[in-house]
Amino acid sequence: MTIPRFISPGNTFAEENPYALGKVRVLRVYQLTELEKLFLFRFEDPTIAENWTFRPGQFVQLTIPGVGEVPISVCSSPMRQGFFELCIRKAGRVTTVVHKLKPGDTVLVRGPYGNGFPVDQWEGMDLLLIAAGLGTAPLRSVFLYAMDNRWKYGNITFINTARYGKDLLFYKELEAMKDIAEAENVKIIQSVTRDPDWPGPKGRPQKFIGEANTDPKNTAVAICGPPRMYKDVFESLIEHGYKPENIYVTLERMMKCGIGKCGHCNVGTSTSWKYVCKDGPVFTYFDIVSTPGMLD
Amino acid sequence: MRYVKLPKENTYEFLERLKEWGKLYAPVKVSEKFYDFREVDDVRKVEFNYNRTIMPPKKFFFLPREKLFEFNISEAEYRETIENVEPFVVFGVHACDIFGLKILDTIYLDELPDKYYKVRREKGIIVGISCVPDEYCFCNLRETDFADDGFDLFLHELPDGWLVRVGTPTGHRIVDKNLELFEEVTPQDVCSFREFENKRHQMFRYHEDWADLRYLLELETEHPMWDEQSDICLACGNCNTTCPTCRCFDVQDVPNIDGNTGVRVRRWDSCQLVRHGMVAGGHNFRPTKKSRFMNRYMCKNAYIEQLGLSYCVGCGRCSYFCPAGINFVRNLRVILGLEEATCPPRVSEEIPKKGFAYTPSVRGDEL
Repeated sequence: MTIPRFISPGNTFAEENPYALGKVRVLRVYQLTELEKLFLFRFEDPTIAENWTFRPGQFVQLTIPGVGEVPISVCSSPMRQGFFELCIRKAGRVTTVVHKLKPGDTVLVRGPYGNGFPVDQWEGMDLLLIAAGLGTAPLRSVFLYAMDNRWKYGNITFINTARYGKDLLFYKELEAMKDIAEAENVKIIQSVTRDPDWPGPKGRPQKFIGEANTDPKNTAVAICGPPRMYKDVFESLIEHGYKPENIYVTLERMMKCGIGKCGHCNVGTSTSWKYVCKDGPVFTYFDIVSTPGMLD
Repeated sequence: MRYVKLPKENTYEFLERLKEWGKLYAPVKVSEKFYDFREVDDVRKVEFNYNRTIMPPKKFFFLPREKLFEFNISEAEYRETIENVEPFVVFGVHACDIFGLKILDTIYLDELPDKYYKVRREKGIIVGISCVPDEYCFCNLRETDFADDGFDLFLHELPDGWLVRVGTPTGHRIVDKNLELFEEVTPQDVCSFREFENKRHQMFRYHEDWADLRYLLELETEHPMWDEQSDICLACGNCNTTCPTCRCFDVQDVPNIDGNTGVRVRRWDSCQLVRHGMVAGGHNFRPTKKSRFMNRYMCKNAYIEQLGLSYCVGCGRCSYFCPAGINFVRNLRVILGLEEATCPPRVSEEIPKKGFAYTPSVRGDEL
């Protein structure tokens, strides 16, 4: 069961050369946490800006010329045409330079790449989103998309976790949505795992699966977080009656090309050999079970 | 398919005429033991009976180091710098290496074709040549010992010349333009061809069934072979560099000294190097030498749906050029239960403890 790839109709700059780049301008920069910033971008070319789109869960390759390229998941909703947001953690050489960008600066982008979450297939289902740490970024895209298309989905629960309260991504945004959300059967749970001073809920994401307002028999579950968390979350989900065929995860790997050529994101064994960038980054529970090494 | 005969006395003249179609690259002897594809001026230096070249012919299509773009850093602008590729002829490609290119095609010419590879693939003329196996060859087990397509011309050795198979319209044009060099194929030639093929079949070291290898590799991940062999491995990446189907590359932005311009280059990468699976923040998805060693075995034995083959073509380069004497075939046979795990690597004593493919003289910089 693989999720088909999605290639944006607005991605005209890559028609001839798949490594070709589009110029984007930074419109706004928000400091989200100590290490993470949120950037709002728009393509310089107005035609591309209007037509370029993506599916939640897809990623782009962001270039700082002369420094290098990094794969980053888009974290905004594809319904907001003309703009997109990237949540970037200062983690390496390129992202350190990215963090120096100011509104008005231009950088280069190519993509979107990967399959993304099959949000069309999920219509009519409840949604359970489970994020830990930086995993909130791709799931925020799913969440905002679902909120923009609220009538297409049933109940929604977003479990957002981090180690410390100060690291909770999009904490204020999600808190601000809480009141309106509850009236619309949307539940937001923000929890920390290591912060003793945190006034809100404490515990790992699997602890809150029982509190979700979703119907286990008809829920699409999307998970993103550090590799270590997946196993416990799976166990808890299945224990609570969620169906394995409705569990989706998104993975991280080193990606240089984004289109299944450079080979860095290869994962699997001789009978099941996948490129995370091309066959993923979203995989189903059955992909995970039949492809050893995906979660390590 | 069209068949013609090239008499032995016309061979060099034919090579000379091939130069009219572009730069001629052919296997030449580069040292006491090794051969490599080089540009040929004097066609008398071309080797017809070589076992294997150091670098596979992939180096002509997927360059060891290649400029993708030029940048202007302050303007955030880039320019495509694909060079004007002149037609060229690669003479003397063995069947396994032709399959190697076909495998690269499945990656680089899929729904998002790699422009840089594609343009070279369109310009390159491939002339194959028949060969006889040595003890490192196992292309028969990989079903890549006889190429049905993927070449413009293919030369099969006859006692008094070559039986030429014509594979593409370009191949037809080459034959038609030099028709006076060729003869009709006689029943005697067919006989000799059959004899040669029979002889070749018998010369392979192993005649066995590897159909379940893929499954056994997956089931035997706890086998002691993995620890034992990855421990010997030097993680130098020689096996990747010399492999005709390894396609990993790394991309880097290299600024010029003026600080404002620069180039984006890609170069061959190796999955045996520690940073191959490293992501930002320092997490490495393949942190140990063993995990990377296993990764290569899994990759090379994975199945390609388009061709119905595995990613290994059985050329034997990874074993032949391994400075640690690790024998790929032996390790696979251990997994298959055909060989004792405790046997010492059979080839380690015979292999010269030199000849890293990634030395400057052989990495294809002169291309």
